[in-house]
Amino acid sequence: MKIVVCCKAVPGAVTDVEVAPGGKALQFQSQFQAMNECDEYALEEACALKRAYGGEITALAMGPITTQDILYLALAKGADQALRIDVRVQDPQVASTVLAAALGKMEFDLVLTGTQSRDTLASFVGVAAAARLGLPFAFAVTEVEKDGEQSIKVRKELGGGRFADIRLGLPALLCVQTGIQPLNFVPPGRMLRARAQPIRSLSLTELGLTEEEIVPRGYRYQSVSPPERVGRVRFLEGATPEIAAALLARIRAAL
Amino acid sequence: MPHPMQGDVLVIAEHWKGEPEGVTLQMLTKGRELADSGGVGLAVLVLGHGLDDVVEVLRGKGMDTIWVLDDPALARAGGGVEAHAIAEAVRAIDPGLILIGYSLVGMELAPAIAVGLGVTAMTNCVDVGIEDGAVVVTRPFFDGTQHAKIVLEGKGPPLVALQGGATPTVGLGATEVAVRPVAVDLSAVPARGQVLEVIEEAVSDVDITKAEIIVAVGRGIGGKEKIAVIEELTQALGGLMACSRPLVDLGWLGRERQVGASGKSVAPKVYLACGISGASQHLSGMSDSRLIVAINKDPNAPIFQVAHYGVVGDLLEIVPALTAEARKVAG
Ligand SMILES: Cc1cc2nc3c(=O)[nH]c(=O)nc-3n(C[C@H](O)[C@H](O)[C@H](O)COP(=O)(O)OP(=O)(O)OC[C@H]3O[C@@H](n4cnc5c(N)ncnc54)[C@H](O)[C@@H]3O)c2cc1C
Ligand SMILES: Nc1ncnc2c1ncn2[C@@H]1O[C@H](COP(=O)(O)O)[C@@H](O)[C@H]1O
Repeated sequence: MKIVVCCKAVPGAVTDVEVAPGGKALQFQSQFQAMNECDEYALEEACALKRAYGGEITALAMGPITTQDILYLALAKGADQALRIDVRVQDPQVASTVLAAALGKMEFDLVLTGTQSRDTLASFVGVAAAARLGLPFAFAVTEVEKDGEQSIKVRKELGGGRFADIRLGLPALLCVQTGIQPLNFVPPGRMLRARAQPIRSLSLTELGLTEEEIVPRGYRYQSVSPPERVGRVRFLEGATPEIAAALLARIRAAL
Repeated sequence: MPHPMQGDVLVIAEHWKGEPEGVTLQMLTKGRELADSGGVGLAVLVLGHGLDDVVEVLRGKGMDTIWVLDDPALARAGGGVEAHAIAEAVRAIDPGLILIGYSLVGMELAPAIAVGLGVTAMTNCVDVGIEDGAVVVTRPFFDGTQHAKIVLEGKGPPLVALQGGATPTVGLGATEVAVRPVAVDLSAVPARGQVLEVIEEAVSDVDITKAEIIVAVGRGIGGKEKIAVIEELTQALGGLMACSRPLVDLGWLGRERQVGASGKSVAPKVYLACGISGASQHLSGMSDSRLIVAINKDPNAPIFQVAHYGVVGDLLEIVPALTAEARKVAG
């Protein structure tokens, strides 16, 4: 099975978050970047599928040069090759356009993405890319198996303790849920070897897209700030034993 | 440029076994408010096959129109066909704003509907309103530590996916409701996804939905072996231990203890959240709890938005102190 896994580099803790001039993006400072959590699970599932059915895995990430780090991690984890789209995009609708354009130039049986990225929290890009390419899709997938030459059977979460088993024709796109496989630890030696591998990159022009096509449309950020405490939270302060006593009193009063 | 809303507010209903889901009722409450402030009607779209029961329940829940798309092709349709059906129905209905739940089902459908219609979509919204005639949403970024307010100004009706639990459900007065069929030709749509079976999880021995006190542990615990600290507090308080999703994913605790959109919904008398950030998918499973107490070292953690009492600090310090206090009082 030829599998493409979409991996996103996401910032860790962020500071100085502001609306960028023009109102089309958020700008911020962050210390480090990591592979988005559910994308790690997607990659792990790709490795499991490759072990079961053979084939090859391509890790695909869109982002500036710093994004390479997560692609090395993907190679260390078991991807056969890595491809970076050299575009910086925040907007999920645009991200899905660019990823769909890249996927449109690739050969695959299956595309795996995560369910949600921790910066935009959108849960949008995977299914939107599938829709743009006319691929069958499933969201929040927890099990995948082959089911004939040109189809797979997957289990997906419906929420509220319900699941659906569905059959999809290949090629298809699956948004993989966290926990689908246990995450394997990557030994430092493998990481070092991965860093010696080349990573191809593709520009916007090579994808046949223009700058104009990656301008976010249809909205404008008005403001950004830590959440307003619409709630009624009262913070308890003081020495730990005092806090404990005060908390317990409130808990008892509520019973 | 923002322009006044033209056309109804349309809620895409989610239902199971003839009952609308909670998030649908919440959207109807919100939708009524928006429709009234925009001077338009409130409509709901129900789709599937064999819809009489859910239409009956929905009647009198405050909407002006119920659009019914009943087609045998939708009985076992995959997400692609469903999204296509919704997009086509929306074209026929021509609303001013589309509301869908940011539930697992909505997460799958919303992007495909938006692409199908070519409209602006905003998912994971905690609020939606109308300001100066424009639709304005509030949604989280960066693990929920920031909220952005966003003005929608695109062409066509925007699609807004609202978090479950973001709006309370208000019992709406009965209105005169028109039930109208909407037909979409699905015969030509390639069905490359088909539902084989829907499975409901069996009830387990540990039933957190019945607990009066829940002590819930999140990734902030920092290690499997430290969960004992939470277990001790749970015992001292006489409650049940629950958790956020990552602990289940890591294999630290069983699925039966997971609270949230893809776990259980609980509403105990006391919910004590320890080291849980409060992602929307967690909140939607516990925000109805009577008393919510949160311990988190990050004062901006979104859990504090639903908490009644909060402690900003290290749970490994606070929790043992609370256990000692509970034992002292009990003993
Ligand atoms: C489709 C979908 C479905 C999902 N379903 C669910 C679901 O059903 N249930 C669910 O819970 N999640 C669900 N999630 C995941 C959800 O989005 C979050 O990722 C998850 O809830 C985060 O869990 P957490 O709060 O334990 O961990 P984190 O978000 O990592 O938060 C850990 C928190 O602990 C705090 N902390 C760290 N150390 C300490 C310390 N020593 N003392 C005090 N505080 C500390 C940190 O400040 C942080 O706020 C779902 C996601 C998706 C995309
Ligand atoms: N820049 C990107 N590069 C690669 N994959 C991405 C990118 N943005 C989003 N994705 C994929 O889309 C999923 C959902 O992201 P989102 O819609 O932003 O929540 C992620 O888990 C990734 O698998």
